[in-house]
Amino acid sequence: MTKLLAIIKREWTQRVRARMFIITTVMLPLAMIMFAIAPALVLRIDSGNPMRIVVVDGTGKLLPRLKTSLNGDDAASDPEANVATRANSIASGRSSDFIFEQLQTAGRSEDDIKAELETRLRDKEIDAYLILPPDLMQTSKAQFFRRNTSDLISTRKIRDALDGALRTQRLVEAKVDPRTIGQLDRSVDFETTRISGAGRERDAGGAFALVFLVGFVMYISILLYGQIVLGAVIEEKETRIAEVLFSSVRPFTLMTGKLLGVSLVALTQLTIWGVAFAGFALYGVSVLNSRGIPTRLPSIPLLFYVYFTVFFLAGYFVYATMYALLGSIVTTAQEGGQAAMPIIMLLVISFYLFLPVSRNPDSAVSFWLSMIPFFAPTSMLVRIVTQTPPLWQIALSLVISLSTVAALTWLTAKVYRVGMLMYGKRASIPEVVRWVRT
Amino acid sequence: MTSNPNNITVKVDRVSKSFGDFTAVKDLTLAVRAGRIFGLLGPNGAGKSTSIRMIVNITAPDSGSIELFGQKINSRIQDRIGYLPEERGLYKSMKVGEQLRFFAQLKNVTGKDALQRIDTWLDRLKLSEWKQKKTRDLSKGMQQKIQFISAVLHDPDLIILDEPFSGLDPLNVELLTDVVLNLKRAGKTVIFSTHAMDIAEKICDDICLINRSRKVFDGSIREVKKSFGRNLIALRVEGTNGNLAASRLVSNVEHHSDEMEVLLATNADPQEFLKELIASGAVVTKFEMIEPSLHDIFIEKVSETQ
Repeated sequence: MTKLLAIIKREWTQRVRARMFIITTVMLPLAMIMFAIAPALVLRIDSGNPMRIVVVDGTGKLLPRLKTSLNGDDAASDPEANVATRANSIASGRSSDFIFEQLQTAGRSEDDIKAELETRLRDKEIDAYLILPPDLMQTSKAQFFRRNTSDLISTRKIRDALDGALRTQRLVEAKVDPRTIGQLDRSVDFETTRISGAGRERDAGGAFALVFLVGFVMYISILLYGQIVLGAVIEEKETRIAEVLFSSVRPFTLMTGKLLGVSLVALTQLTIWGVAFAGFALYGVSVLNSRGIPTRLPSIPLLFYVYFTVFFLAGYFVYATMYALLGSIVTTAQEGGQAAMPIIMLLVISFYLFLPVSRNPDSAVSFWLSMIPFFAPTSMLVRIVTQTPPLWQIALSLVISLSTVAALTWLTAKVYRVGMLMYGKRASIPEVVRWVRT
Repeated sequence: MTSNPNNITVKVDRVSKSFGDFTAVKDLTLAVRAGRIFGLLGPNGAGKSTSIRMIVNITAPDSGSIELFGQKINSRIQDRIGYLPEERGLYKSMKVGEQLRFFAQLKNVTGKDALQRIDTWLDRLKLSEWKQKKTRDLSKGMQQKIQFISAVLHDPDLIILDEPFSGLDPLNVELLTDVVLNLKRAGKTVIFSTHAMDIAEKICDDICLINRSRKVFDGSIREVKKSFGRNLIALRVEGTNGNLAASRLVSNVEHHSDEMEVLLATNADPQEFLKELIASGAVVTKFEMIEPSLHDIFIEKVSETQ
């Protein structure tokens, strides 16, 4: 027992003090924040210059409607605009992103106009031109020309705006009362409320973010610490430390000590992240609230942290034992990296499963996925966050995971005790099978 | 210390071990007596390291049995063994002091006791100033000495050293040899493998030669040398007619510049020969029995079984 503790302690102190630990602890959350806010930032940068569009309005009626539809409810000009709209406008680019110019076409041929506009487009005088033929009201066919067609967001905005303008115009022509049109155009105010055992709460997309975050953190931590186990095992094999250690401790003690030690490092890091996240969240919310921006966090019950820890540990041990087995078979770190690909694939799949599972957490597929030990950590946790399954399912999933861990530990110990002393070449599958049998 | 009646620390009985088709050790039987230095000699790939690994219970033999201190190996016995493997392994990024503490803990030596012993040993091997340095900053020779310390730190009764001197400079070889001899003086049993015959000759009490996974011979170094004795005498005499070859005790004489090498006949007694010389009126200025060196024996036996 003293020996096991000594191994765990060494593993923990050495790793927590290592530069690598500090770097990942700081960098990973930063990277995630970057992932979360980068798209919005990038869009803001790109929308620096408004798009200059020349409109050839053959109908003579649609352009004003198009303008109102696109720039009309200009949030920036309205100090009273509510925060949500303002926040939206940041995420989706500024509202007054478009400058329209109407081209008078009296008596000119279509080809002539197009030729002129194309020249202006090439000379970068304008960014796009839109042709609304006179029979647009009947055919619903418009033409849009621009230099950069990969900016799907603007293109889609214009199309949607034109759609709206066309519909309104048709209604007007059908002699529908303008007030009725206003009513027809009002889009639905969609308020989502999550009903769970704990009660009801408003949800503005926070839950999805939470599911994603949970799945991602779970995946990245298991991957990170699985790789650390792999590296640690290979190091002890490559440097022949295992041989010295085996003269003092049983291989099984060394292996379990290693797995436990690294798991404690992982828990240390997760705790740091958890506390930091909670701190930032509380601080951020209070700042937003004090500035008059009412914000609420999706409430995370305490039990959830317990579930996260338990399922993280289950997943960690499932994958870490596989990594340890692999590490004891291969001879170098490079070889280990290549051989680990199937394990990584399994992990990546388990991460992406958060999508189907979160959409349909109660389906049979979700149920079975959360019972497979390789997928259980992410799948079951996503289910718990979205729509907590009955307790027996959670318990069953855990029991299956823990049984798998026990079986894998047994298997790995058999391979490990021989593999760690085999130098020179990577063991073949039949060899490994023989080690397990003896 | 529980010493067993016949004073045998390690008893290896008809042990074999193979890896796949390759037989590493075949029917090895040997006994290591307590308080003595036992040299396991043999060329590269003879099976020395595999034998040692089985003795320290890192690998299990396919057949045969091994007893340490009169018992089958168990974890309590493992704490009484110190092992320096042929392939040195240390955690490169750990500080020397921490590393030794860790190894001490693995042998159930903890706390102040461990710290004290670490300081003593670092001092003895002239490494005190390196205690706070990371292992990767040490030279290979220094790392080897650190590893040696990790093998003796817990004051084991049996110390097993696999090629302890390889890669060390002469000064350090001297230093380590002294340490090993001191361990013997303190009543410890030492097994070490080497192919450095000069060192083995200097410090071993008993030896065992292994070649091609089998034992060639074993015994105390005296017995071994005696059994290889060829009754060769280095001789310098004055005032003899030089007709030594005529004696029935002599089978061959080889003349060098100022002395000769006399090979006595089988079963001839050197004392008889000396008497004969003196009786013949010769003045003997040098009369030395030339023993075969371990080196010679090694070469002879190994090439014989090759």
